[in-house]
Amino acid sequence: MGSPVLLQNRKTDRIATLDEYRKSGGYEALATVLKKHGPKEIQQMVQDSGLLGRGGAGFPTGLKWKAVADNAPFPRYIITNIDEMEPGTFKDRILAHSDPHLIIEGTILAGYAVSAQKGFLFVRPAYESSALIFERELKIAAEAGFLGKNILGSDYSFEIVVHRSGGRYICGEGTAQLNAIEGRRPNPRGAPPYATDRGLFQRPTVLNNMETLACVPHIIRRGGEWFKSLAKTKGAAGTKLYSACGKVSRPGCFELPMGPRLSEIIEEHAGGLPPGSEYKTCLPGGASTRFLPKEFYNIEMDYAPLKAIGHRLGTGAVIVFDHKTCLVGAALNLMDFFVRESCGWCTPCREALPFIRDLLWRIEHGEGREEFIPMLQVMCKHTWKSFCAFAPGATMPVESLLTYFGDEVREHISQKRCPFSPPSLSPSPYPLPPGERGNKMK
Amino acid sequence: MPKIKIDGHEIEVAHGTKVIEAAERLGIIIPRFCYHPALGAVGACRVCAVKCEGPVKGIQMSCMTEARDGLVVSTTDEEAVDFRRQVIEWLMMNHPHDCPVCDEGGHCLLQTLTVAGGHGIRRYPGNKRTYRDQYLGVFVQHEMNRCIHCYRCWRFYQGFTGYRDLGCLQIAYRTYFGRFGDGPLESPFSGNLVDICPTGVYTDKPSRFTGRRWDFERSPSLCLHCSLGCNTVSSARYREMVRQEARLNKSVNGFFICDRGRYGFSYESLPERPRRARIGREQASWDEALQKAGDTLARIDPASIACLGSARSSLENQGMLKRFCRLLRWEEPRYFETRSMARKIQRAVSRLDKQIAVSLREIEGADFILAVGVDPINEAPMLALAMRQAFRGGAEVAPMFPLPMRPFTNGATVAIIDPRPVSLPLEFDHFPVVPGEIEPIMNRLVKGCVSRDIVAKLGPDALRFYDAIPQDYPPSSFKGGWADVEQKLLQSKKPVIICGTDIVQESTIISAADDALLLKAAKGWAGLFYVMPSANTFGAALLSPSGDSLGEIIEGIEKGRVRALIVVENDPFWLYPDGERLEQALGKLDLLLVLDYLPSRIAEQAHIFFPTAPLFDTETRFVNQEGRIQWAKPVHAGGSPITEVGAGNHPPRMYGGAIPGGEPKPAWRILAELAEAISAPRGKVSLPASIEDLWRWMVQEQPAFAGLQAFDVPPEGFRILPDHSKEQGFPSSSRKEDRERMNSDFLEVLPVDWTFGTEELSSYSRFIQQVENPPSLMMHTRDAATLGFKDQDRASINLDRGPLEVGVRTMDNMASGIIILPRHRQLAWQKLKKIPARIPFERIRKM
Repeated sequence: MGSPVLLQNRKTDRIATLDEYRKSGGYEALATVLKKHGPKEIQQMVQDSGLLGRGGAGFPTGLKWKAVADNAPFPRYIITNIDEMEPGTFKDRILAHSDPHLIIEGTILAGYAVSAQKGFLFVRPAYESSALIFERELKIAAEAGFLGKNILGSDYSFEIVVHRSGGRYICGEGTAQLNAIEGRRPNPRGAPPYATDRGLFQRPTVLNNMETLACVPHIIRRGGEWFKSLAKTKGAAGTKLYSACGKVSRPGCFELPMGPRLSEIIEEHAGGLPPGSEYKTCLPGGASTRFLPKEFYNIEMDYAPLKAIGHRLGTGAVIVFDHKTCLVGAALNLMDFFVRESCGWCTPCREALPFIRDLLWRIEHGEGREEFIPMLQVMCKHTWKSFCAFAPGATMPVESLLTYFGDEVREHISQKRCPFSPPSLSPSPYPLPPGERGNKMK
Repeated sequence: MPKIKIDGHEIEVAHGTKVIEAAERLGIIIPRFCYHPALGAVGACRVCAVKCEGPVKGIQMSCMTEARDGLVVSTTDEEAVDFRRQVIEWLMMNHPHDCPVCDEGGHCLLQTLTVAGGHGIRRYPGNKRTYRDQYLGVFVQHEMNRCIHCYRCWRFYQGFTGYRDLGCLQIAYRTYFGRFGDGPLESPFSGNLVDICPTGVYTDKPSRFTGRRWDFERSPSLCLHCSLGCNTVSSARYREMVRQEARLNKSVNGFFICDRGRYGFSYESLPERPRRARIGREQASWDEALQKAGDTLARIDPASIACLGSARSSLENQGMLKRFCRLLRWEEPRYFETRSMARKIQRAVSRLDKQIAVSLREIEGADFILAVGVDPINEAPMLALAMRQAFRGGAEVAPMFPLPMRPFTNGATVAIIDPRPVSLPLEFDHFPVVPGEIEPIMNRLVKGCVSRDIVAKLGPDALRFYDAIPQDYPPSSFKGGWADVEQKLLQSKKPVIICGTDIVQESTIISAADDALLLKAAKGWAGLFYVMPSANTFGAALLSPSGDSLGEIIEGIEKGRVRALIVVENDPFWLYPDGERLEQALGKLDLLLVLDYLPSRIAEQAHIFFPTAPLFDTETRFVNQEGRIQWAKPVHAGGSPITEVGAGNHPPRMYGGAIPGGEPKPAWRILAELAEAISAPRGKVSLPASIEDLWRWMVQEQPAFAGLQAFDVPPEGFRILPDHSKEQGFPSSSRKEDRERMNSDFLEVLPVDWTFGTEELSSYSRFIQQVENPPSLMMHTRDAATLGFKDQDRASINLDRGPLEVGVRTMDNMASGIIILPRHRQLAWQKLKKIPARIPFERIRKM
């Protein structure tokens, strides 16, 4: 493991100040760019660096920026997505609390690259402390001349505001986030038009994950080749903030060269599983990825290798499950989250997820029937025909549960109880069937 | 134009056509819940899934997929069918299955598609979600448990009509459609929620539990509650009108109608509606009354008999009245209450031609709307919706943006020049000026956007008109909006002028047409749209070119020249501005013969009365304000509702062949009988007894009807406008310079219409009566301050005909120097004596 890049200024007790950030080379990239490079060059530099979107989809960042047409209208907008609500994921929180100016500089550079006038930091309300930090540091950056009119004496002007999310998972979806900032219901928008043509307020808009933009100052300061050389896997680029939680001894967030082995993350960095626990499976990148079966314990944690075996890197947030954890219960827990957080726009998401949750609940509580399994399989498949990627993501744990851990599910059905909980204990956080719980409104 | 193949059938469609629309044209109806032609495609329900090959592949939503060359679509693909079945199962998970007690049952899209989609056996073992329903007012019943979350109501209410009090709350499976709290819906288009809801979340409250769709007698009909002529489907049961729905007419109302039109029908089934002939106050047999009327009229000097028709009467009735007078050598009938209104309508009608008149649909395509002397929501509500669609830049503007604000749309600019506090569900520039100033300001605005060279090509008259427009208007008091509006008109390519006929002066109507001609010359295209007072005002104007009115009849009575008056479907007490004078004049008559279907004030005073059949009982034609002739079929054989005559028996038992209360006949038929009765002593004169006969005469009489055969009016109606208007543009003779500014010792009273409470027919409706606001006068805050009034005070106005007491509303967004008074059924505004009425300040007192 090389020295950290994104987290180079991470401290145990406080954020890095502007001075500390500048000492580590901060805002050098911005100064150079404003003096020497045009927007097109920045786009090309970022594209050449091989930077892929860190929000989970892994779309090449340079390409996204280039999608803003030269003659596109003004004003143009940059949105930095800090609405980190993916269960098990906390990398943005760590980064935002380590080096806020890195994010601010990344946002300004992205703004320059597409000639944008305004940036939004879209912050999850649970991260109120981050929002406060950003508000304070934005002022400091502006006072230092990095933001506002004629940045560092150039003719480029850019401002950034902090936008607090209303606090729903769906607001992290790019197009829903546009609606959210406009003050509308956060229902995803269909494409086309793409946000880069007509996004926020019908103007060209680039929306990037916070971690993605944090890479940009480094790329510009030290070059694309250097950035590529950071990665472990061939063809990949940069470092990545991985995190591990669940059944591990030292849960945490670790910056590692792109493509470490899963076993390495769990054993070297997260301290392995606690004594008495045996590795069973993990969700490799947050709650909307598939359970990764044991045979892939040594997989390289990068976009391509996981895709090759039908899985997703997602956010790189590994949630580890041991042999004592009931995966039906885990899937039910996650499904409960997705049921609650669906925006309610399209039928598969709004109605099928509660249906699936109900069947899972029954299986977990000894009311399962054999025919539920094909029902679940068909419904999971059908959620892929929904409006946005929410429902397909939401059913990934369930689908992979049925695919890889069908025996465990059948055991629940045949024993008419959850085999992981002693019969004397109430196994469930939910004493009533889902239909009776909390779904009366108005 | 892309060619696609759907289920083996090839079809070529316009660019941008969605697969679901293309399939519809082939007769393949793909299931849909969220998709609606007027509300666009949003891909929410996912039930229109089809399998695609070619440029897009796999299961796709047919409402979201645009037709592209080489696209091959299968609606019967196994995976697509299975997915659609699955979607319906999901939607039915929480549906209460209360079809037996749901009014939507029998014409429910969800019911139809559940059966058609093949979902039959319930597999979801969980409990159903429940919601609390809301009270939404007297028109719409809310039953949220039935909701399948198609978002149509939200998209309609906030997106299409622009009202905000009903919307979408919460998220996920708890998504709720309703108001923030209980309360009547604020939109005057709320009844359309009933039509667009694909299931029974919103049902029609007035007709609740009155029957299934198949129990009703149903027929295509027309709305008579303003001049736009919206198309409806009317339903009757047990000889009672129970329900009115919107009927698609792509040129007029589209898919929707307003609440006045939807719920104004109940005058037809009022218990107090006169259904028997009367002599004096006593009921009489038909023949007796006919005999008496014939005898009396035969004895009266034909020169002293006058006839009054109306603008709410059908073309047949209006025409027959005219023929009747001709035949008996009486004076021509009058159709208007006042001379000024008759002349204004004449002007408007004579200026409309095929080149310049636009329909409501064409207004939706305008990029600049200049509305003068018109208050759309109050005078012709559906006009406001058409204007809103223009403002949105076409109805299909992204439905995900229900509340477009100006920077987000490329829609039309709307400018209103009107003294009233006009309120519209869209952004507009309002120039509140007194009626006399409307015209110069409109002319000035248009002049600023048309160059003199262009006008010169239109001839010397046009140039004279153009040069006479003063440059100094508008007064500098207009704030920023003016320059912006002028700029927008300059840039516009499709401007439309909408002109009211109620509060404006005659010359304003002429100028509106002249200005439209100027704009047309400058831009190649321009539209003109007049709003008129009544459903058949246009027809009345065609039949009465003289411009005479009830006013001259009353003078005749007072001078003893007129001794008998025949009134056909008119209640002059409703609109004639001097009630007392009218009452006294009628008292002097030897004979007052009234034919009507309303329990009106004049019907009560009639010496002889014949009940006529309203629209719903007979086949009729009406001409709307753009000169479109439209046709309504009888809904049922009229008669007293069974609830009235059944004496509480269930089922009602009656014996005999005749329909109780079935005496009323169409007015034109009664007139034919009357003509025979009058002329019997002198040898029989017959009027045509058949509608075909009548129409043959009508076509001869009025060339505009030529080419219109009796029964072949096409479904979208038929414009009877000439190719070129009768009256040439820019008539200098009729224009008078009336630039008189208001002086400060009096206020001019402007009687106006309100959405509810002023229109005659709907004011008899027990549903409309429940939603009308109590009458109040409106004045500018400055005038109110001068008079010492605050908002919500009560005023007493000392008029020549006695004091008028009314509540006061003070407004900032209206002209000062005027008082706005609704012609409300609860307000004796007829004490004004004449219009315009000027009230000195000292006559207005605070109570």
